[in-house]
Amino acid sequence: MIRIGGVLVSEGESGVYGERTLDGFRVWNPYRSKISAYYSLGGDVELESGMRVLYLGAAHGTSVSHVADYTEIVYAVENAYAPMRDLLAVASRRKNIIPLFADATQPSSYAPLVETVDVLIQDVAHPDQAGIAMKNSVFLKTGGPALIVVKARSVDVSRNPESVVEEICRILEESPLTVGKVIWLEPYHRDHAILVCKKNP
Amino acid sequence: MAQYWFGEISGDICIPFASRDPQHLSERLDSLIDDPEQYTPFSWESAKDCGYIGSRHEYVQVLRSLCIFRAERDLATISRHPEQEILHMVRMLDQVDEAVNLLAEKALDWHAAKDPTFSRKYRHVRGRKAREILLGSENHLVRAIAQELTALSDVRETLSKEVMTLTSGVMPNSSRLVGGVVAARLLSSAGGLSRLARLPAGSIQVLGAGPALFSHLNSGSPSPKHGILFQHQRVHSSTKERRGNIARTLAAKLAIAVKIDYYRGRVDPEFLESAERALKRAGGRP
Repeated sequence: MIRIGGVLVSEGESGVYGERTLDGFRVWNPYRSKISAYYSLGGDVELESGMRVLYLGAAHGTSVSHVADYTEIVYAVENAYAPMRDLLAVASRRKNIIPLFADATQPSSYAPLVETVDVLIQDVAHPDQAGIAMKNSVFLKTGGPALIVVKARSVDVSRNPESVVEEICRILEESPLTVGKVIWLEPYHRDHAILVCKKNP
Repeated sequence: MAQYWFGEISGDICIPFASRDPQHLSERLDSLIDDPEQYTPFSWESAKDCGYIGSRHEYVQVLRSLCIFRAERDLATISRHPEQEILHMVRMLDQVDEAVNLLAEKALDWHAAKDPTFSRKYRHVRGRKAREILLGSENHLVRAIAQELTALSDVRETLSKEVMTLTSGVMPNSSRLVGGVVAARLLSSAGGLSRLARLPAGSIQVLGAGPALFSHLNSGSPSPKHGILFQHQRVHSSTKERRGNIARTLAAKLAIAVKIDYYRGRVDPEFLESAERALKRAGGRP
């Protein structure tokens, strides 16, 4: 990961969402992006230039654009109409983003298009986040890392976020993903955690 | 034999797909997705070995144009559906109402401040009447605002007619039951026909009464009897004691009407008749 004076940046065409630039690099703001918050808090799953990434919950393509700056190709899955238009606008300027207008709970609808990837990133607002991670882990290569953003409030607003994360970890025990670290994204994002997982052989 | 978007592989033999055109590829893909086959991981090299493309760069290029084509096609399909437009039109309608009323009030205050004989007592100064007074104002700026308000009210009328036309197409049964604008407001509050069709009658009854509902759930204040449904003539014109009863019956029949609208999409005269009868029993005037 590239840092200039402690600020996380990425290298690519700027102006995607009015982001600041620093010495020609695009500043990747941890307050706006959960993935950036993960790296700002010492995350060690490095994004490298040859990597293929499956990104679930691509939304408006802001975080995706930074991930695409670092990697070879990003398969960006988004299911909502309004964000998808923005994602398409980003994808039309960046040759390494493959936009998929599909539902991440139904991987069969995009399975024929997605090759085996090196990294899985998931940032979806859905009650069944563990189920989505499990279903999509088929695309991840053995031993590959998965960054699962847990939006505790999307699972159940009224429940304690810690217990939501514990439950998701418990569900994932039955899956091909092994949860390593749990990183809470405070102070950048409230009630959000990232589960750093690895796909079992 | 394994099927991929770029071709078919059986054993050592691979037949690449004949075209790179996004539209042809997309049609092929649709047939692959419809076939609920187990996912077999593949690598892009199979496409190269197959002779479909020559390099990684080419693979990404063809795949990307295919995916952009599909996403654009699907977005266009959604944007063409009138339901999307109704949501925005009904929000705009409510916003225009709010703006017109607010501006008319402020302009009347201004007019009253300059005219010592002006009083609102013993007359009904609202809507068109208010605009007529403003148009006769001595101040040319007040007159200019009144002209804008008149134009905006005309737009509002056209907009509301258009909403009614569209809803009678998308929600034929519910718009006949409660009227186009109320049906459109329910649609907008639920966030779409598919969501509205999945709501139980009890939720439809209090749709739009969010704050009252949560204050009821949290602090035990009386439960709301009606939300958006209050705007329906049957509900607001009946006595206070009957309103809850009518709103409940209306919501129950609406829940059925919306389901017919969503799953069948045609008018069901038999259902509408029986719904009318139920509403009459509940005490609502037709």
